Amino acid sequence: MKKYLLIAWFLLLLFFPVLSLADEESPESVYRIVDASGKLLTHYAGVPDAGDEYISGDNRHFRIQTVDPENQTATAVSLGTFQLPDVSWLFESTQPVSAQRRAVALYCTHSDESYKPTDGVTSDEERGGIYDVAETFKSALEQQGITVYYSDETHHPHDAGAYRRSRATAASLIEEGVDAVMDIHRDGIPDPESYESEVEGEDTTMVRLLVGRSNQNADANKEFAAQIKAVADEIYPGLIKDIYIGKGSYNQDLMSQSVLLEFGTYTNHKEDVLASTGYMADVMNKTLYGGVKGAAGAESKAAVQENKGGWSGIFWLILAFVIGAAIFAFASTGRAKDAAHHFKRTFQEMTGGLTGKKNNKDPQ
Amino acid sequence: MSIGLILLAAVSVLILFGVAQRVLDKMQLTDRAALLIAAAIFFGGLIPDIRIGRVAFNIGGALVPLGVCVWLLIQTDTKKEVIRALIGSVITGGIVFLLSRVMPNEPEEIFIDPNYVYGIVGGILAYVLGRSRRAAFICGVLGVVLADIAVALINWAQGIDQSLILGGAGAMDAIVISGLLAVLLCEFIGEIIERMARPGERVNHDPIATPVRKEDKR
Repeated sequence: MKKYLLIAWFLLLLFFPVLSLADEESPESVYRIVDASGKLLTHYAGVPDAGDEYISGDNRHFRIQTVDPENQTATAVSLGTFQLPDVSWLFESTQPVSAQRRAVALYCTHSDESYKPTDGVTSDEERGGIYDVAETFKSALEQQGITVYYSDETHHPHDAGAYRRSRATAASLIEEGVDAVMDIHRDGIPDPESYESEVEGEDTTMVRLLVGRSNQNADANKEFAAQIKAVADEIYPGLIKDIYIGKGSYNQDLMSQSVLLEFGTYTNHKEDVLASTGYMADVMNKTLYGGVKGAAGAESKAAVQENKGGWSGIFWLILAFVIGAAIFAFASTGRAKDAAHHFKRTFQEMTGGLTGKKNNKDPQ
Repeated sequence: MSIGLILLAAVSVLILFGVAQRVLDKMQLTDRAALLIAAAIFFGGLIPDIRIGRVAFNIGGALVPLGVCVWLLIQTDTKKEVIRALIGSVITGGIVFLLSRVMPNEPEEIFIDPNYVYGIVGGILAYVLGRSRRAAFICGVLGVVLADIAVALINWAQGIDQSLILGGAGAMDAIVISGLLAVLLCEFIGEIIERMARPGERVNHDPIATPVRKEDKR
């Protein structure tokens, strides 16, 4: 018993240096992503991983092949041109939309994120300037006739547990029966010019779409992001910067129409960022609902009706489950034949005997 | 929303439900009790949180798993095992807290999704401390709860007015995932080590050859 108490005491002592470490603002890594010839494609705040994908503003598709931490450079190979969904229907005469409920959800995982030129700090430990962006975006969506479930809950501190804390917020918003959920962020790239843009003659900043590839909804969410970009490229060229598909989940496993939006970077003026929210709201309205404000009549077209990413998600999810169960069965029996027997019994038990005669349980 | 996306959501829930039922079934619960608790976690997760001041509890995501922990502690045969499970929980909580602070901020920089890291810690620790599935579940669940409480206390001490939401994501919360994963990992490690210790030995799953005794079922 003494041994356990000593271990526990030792671990508790470790808390103190970690608490002081947490207060320091650690600089974020900014990687250069280059193509095979060494030409710069973009910057990325964070550490890219081999297998991440990148779809540039002009729809060139890349996959990260190697990552050099020493020089903070990732090399990507070209996968050709990314085919965005066809949104030619945007220019057809739109029909009135049916009396459907239209609702989306917004929240901010990184509650400290701010814009230095206007907020004075890059990170505000109480409530960052990112909430002003989220609230302006909310108003713009409401002007489009969309009900917005918005949470101004904070998720401090900005550490590896932030997504665990914001998971509760995201889940409670999704329970409202929304059509899409958006996590509002700002980027950590130092160069403000990389996000500066002009839409319809107005100074704005661009929006980067970030999709996680480590969850069952990855393909569906990637397609959702592609639909957003396709609509934006047609009606507001220069609004969407690019799409980054990175390792991680970002709580996008909770919903198949979920996306992380990077509204500018911390060196941009917040006014320019706020200016982009109105255009982005229009893009989301057209992507999700076909963009019609009416409330009666026939169905209108919307990009998301075409999303086929769900089927591949089902395939990969079932495959992962079967492989996991097979490994477990093999580990507990040691022989392929016994593993098959174990697997079969488990499946029978799980289906209440529907798939065969239910046997007694294995001895514990 | 397309049919594919609706089916994807349904399949995700069914698989998690199935895994939860199997895991609970391994902890001295009857088939029916395991099914009922798995259902309570899923449906309880959909009920609005119970809020007391700045603290909110989700029924399926926190209260049901915590209730299972209490029940497992009461059912535990020896005092030693209870203390072991509680110490394991405190250590898991400490490690979860430390990992949140020292791991990179962004999920893409972490080798595995943080939601799974906590369960892995709980599972390994429970195996090292007592090779117990029950302790694994308790460590996985209480570890995350204690770490969340620690973060909230630090925030409040710094004057940050932030709610402490326990299990707010219901069945998909890190508390539930961590508890389930810890049991699976503890069992997996146990099976592998047992297999390595007794290579080639055939496991007889015939219920007549190895009948389930009443005390085994407990």
